[in-house]
Amino acid sequence: MTNIQEFTTKEVPQWCPGCGNFIILAAVKSALSQLNLETHNTVVVSGIGCSGKDSHFFRTYGFEGIHGRVLPVATGVKLSNRKLTVLGMGGDGDAYGIGLNHFIHACRRNLDITYIVHNNEIYGLTTGQVSPTSMKGMKTKSTPHGVIEQPIHPLALAIASDATFVARGYSSNMPHLTKIVAEAIEHKGFSLIDIFQLCPSWNKVNTAEWFKDRLYDINEAGHDTSDKKKAFEKALEDVNTNYEKVPIGIFYKEERATYGDELPQIKEKELINHEIENIDMSKTLARFK
Amino acid sequence: MSEFIWKIGGEAGFGIMGSGLMFSKIFTRSGYYAHSYSEYASLIRGGHNVSQVRISDKKRDCPEKHCDLLVAMDKFSIQAHMHTISKNGGIIYDGKEMDISDIKIREDINTYNVPLLEITNKFKGKILMRNTVAIGATLALLDYPLEYLENILKETFGRKGEEIVNMNLDVAKGGYDYIKENYDTSKYPFSLSPKEGESKIVFTGNEAIGAGAIKAGLKFYCAYPMTPASSVLHYIASKEYDHNIVVKHTEDEIAAINMVIGASYAGVRAMTATSGGGFALMTEAIGLAALSETPIVIALAQRTGPSTGMPTWTEQADLRFAIHASQGDFLRVVLAPGDVADAYNLIQKAFNLADKYQIPVIIMTDKFLSESAASVMEEELKSLPIERGKFITKDMESLSQGEKFKRYELIEDGVSPRPIPGVLGGEHVGTSYEHFENSFSTENFEMRVKQADKRAGKIRKLVEDLEPPMLHGPEDAELTLVCWGSHKPIVFEAVDRLNAEGVKVNALHFSYIHPIHPKTKEILSKCSKLVIVENNSTAQFGGYLKEHADARFNGSILRYDGRPLFPEEVYEHAKNILEGREKDVVVYDKDPVDYYSAALVE
Repeated sequence: MTNIQEFTTKEVPQWCPGCGNFIILAAVKSALSQLNLETHNTVVVSGIGCSGKDSHFFRTYGFEGIHGRVLPVATGVKLSNRKLTVLGMGGDGDAYGIGLNHFIHACRRNLDITYIVHNNEIYGLTTGQVSPTSMKGMKTKSTPHGVIEQPIHPLALAIASDATFVARGYSSNMPHLTKIVAEAIEHKGFSLIDIFQLCPSWNKVNTAEWFKDRLYDINEAGHDTSDKKKAFEKALEDVNTNYEKVPIGIFYKEERATYGDELPQIKEKELINHEIENIDMSKTLARFK
Repeated sequence: MSEFIWKIGGEAGFGIMGSGLMFSKIFTRSGYYAHSYSEYASLIRGGHNVSQVRISDKKRDCPEKHCDLLVAMDKFSIQAHMHTISKNGGIIYDGKEMDISDIKIREDINTYNVPLLEITNKFKGKILMRNTVAIGATLALLDYPLEYLENILKETFGRKGEEIVNMNLDVAKGGYDYIKENYDTSKYPFSLSPKEGESKIVFTGNEAIGAGAIKAGLKFYCAYPMTPASSVLHYIASKEYDHNIVVKHTEDEIAAINMVIGASYAGVRAMTATSGGGFALMTEAIGLAALSETPIVIALAQRTGPSTGMPTWTEQADLRFAIHASQGDFLRVVLAPGDVADAYNLIQKAFNLADKYQIPVIIMTDKFLSESAASVMEEELKSLPIERGKFITKDMESLSQGEKFKRYELIEDGVSPRPIPGVLGGEHVGTSYEHFENSFSTENFEMRVKQADKRAGKIRKLVEDLEPPMLHGPEDAELTLVCWGSHKPIVFEAVDRLNAEGVKVNALHFSYIHPIHPKTKEILSKCSKLVIVENNSTAQFGGYLKEHADARFNGSILRYDGRPLFPEEVYEHAKNILEGREKDVVVYDKDPVDYYSAALVE
């Protein structure tokens, strides 16, 4: 086990009091430490939004990119050097709004990346506008008369897009969250952890009070994580029960070759280890004669 | 000088472009240079395609307007191109497949009615082999030996077995024999004979960019298809196993450039290529590369814009866009090779500049350069030493608890050492946010200014790596034609012609566009009269030179109808400007032709 202090920066995060980000940060650091990972072989890629600040609070390598593009950056890092543990950190806007295209393709691509989505069902850093996961009818600054659309169902979307590890956590349940983050990192393939995250500043609907009697752990309830059909059903249980029952836990898990496994170019050597001095072009150029 | 221009036209989907390349190789293997230029509409079948090959014993990397022989695979090709046939030139057509009795053929033109399809069918060939029959017939007219074509057919189809090879050889000879048996070829005024000399390399601008990138150690290539950049993707993908490159056709251009940034951050040489529309989608990430100081290379192959525009035609109208793309002030390099050899060499330089200065580098071509194939001697292709700059791949001492590596250290030359993930003691964040030296975000005013100045200050060293414009023609010219990128061979050839007539004109060509070379102002101030020559409607580079080098232009030659300028046009208008008959000229083709609908426009 790596000392958790190894992953801690001298800088201290400045999120709102009661923000779920604090717990998520602590849970992820705790999982990294439990898995005995090394700071220099870990890369935390984040986007923009309250969660976008995450990469700065891990004393590892990191990349804070632009809004919605966490997964492409993480993909480039991972394919260049698969020895690195690559985590993506995004919010619900980053992952399911502006970056949705990349999310779906990352699922089917099955790169060995762990994607941790801070889903507070609201836009926080831009001061409280509707998010793709905001519940129908929710009044926000950009929807003063209530949201008209149905929310995105990220877990169902991930399962339908052939992601190989699909889970949901809750920012006020750190032991449970730590466990699934650790399992997701250990999983060989693309893993999504959608985290219900409290946003005390902007989301006055999905509060701790709201979650209290609705959440339950599907793994404790005996859910079979290899049953894709059942997982899909469970992924829609919240909306189908009009939010009476909101499941968390590991919904689906499958072993499948990762994208990198299918590339003979990197079978023996990582891309970064290929020699690039004096590349012999004679054969390649001769083809043009 | 011996020179011959061959043109083949027909409907899309019948191998017109492929036959242009085959025709080129016959001659580049027997002592000649060849340049092959294609025009086509954005269609897979139908429409009109034409490929024009210029064979010359001198290096001529551009087309001319005229041709000496037209192979017409359909009637429309004659209607569309007859006026470009030189005096006493010829037309090969298949009279059994098309009735041309209603076309008034110019009297000086020699017509050769060759049953292309019948010969193909006789040897049980596929319809695409009509082109090979036509090439055989052309060689007969030129009194050129068949063996070079035969060798190419053997190499091209060898993998498909003897039967296919023989079929191709038979149809080629069928075309050759038909001409020899039915026509007196001595009446056709053009002939060529093989010369001594090594085989030349024939490749397109896009293939040169791809091959040059491979030479530069490219390991990660991502792109989304877009004409005319797609063949960079096709070419590099075809070499992904040979050279151990990960090639990804991504979900969009935004993903492509962000993956490139991720790969480069992780330590490999990475690039993408696109055209204007895709480049527009990439603009935000160009700023990300700049602020995070992540080296990236983008090849931008321009086409006729704005928006969808005319997707398969050429233009040089994205220059200002490339120089200014993305929000904020930041340093970038914009390069624009003048020909295929330059493309191969300059892309290697692009990687070195990106790595040395940790900046985005954009290399600009256009449909004309990207998709035209030209021949080069192997020695024209350079092997630039790999320069990765301050790049740390060896473990360092562990950092103290809580500390990060000073990735953005405020350093004299502005280039801070860059450890890659996996290196012990190098932990830091590559970041889009303004930051302290240790990469942590800041909004402190003084640090902001210091970091901005550090990034911008890289230019002090960078200018030493730039090359001045290339002068072609006499130093004491009365008029200087200023051009950039793909138009180098076109403008240089016009200058050669004017010089041959004793007209004192020269040309100044820029491959290094931005930042401007520090000597530019001095160089321009020595020219007596300046004329800007560009393939756009607003003289974007001319404006840039006014802004950065106090250039004062006495005239302009611009074109934005989708075609490149042709040397004879530059020749004519340069002369007119010099002699005071013209000043600002817009060139466009008044041919009543529409490639899109393969129809004549009234």
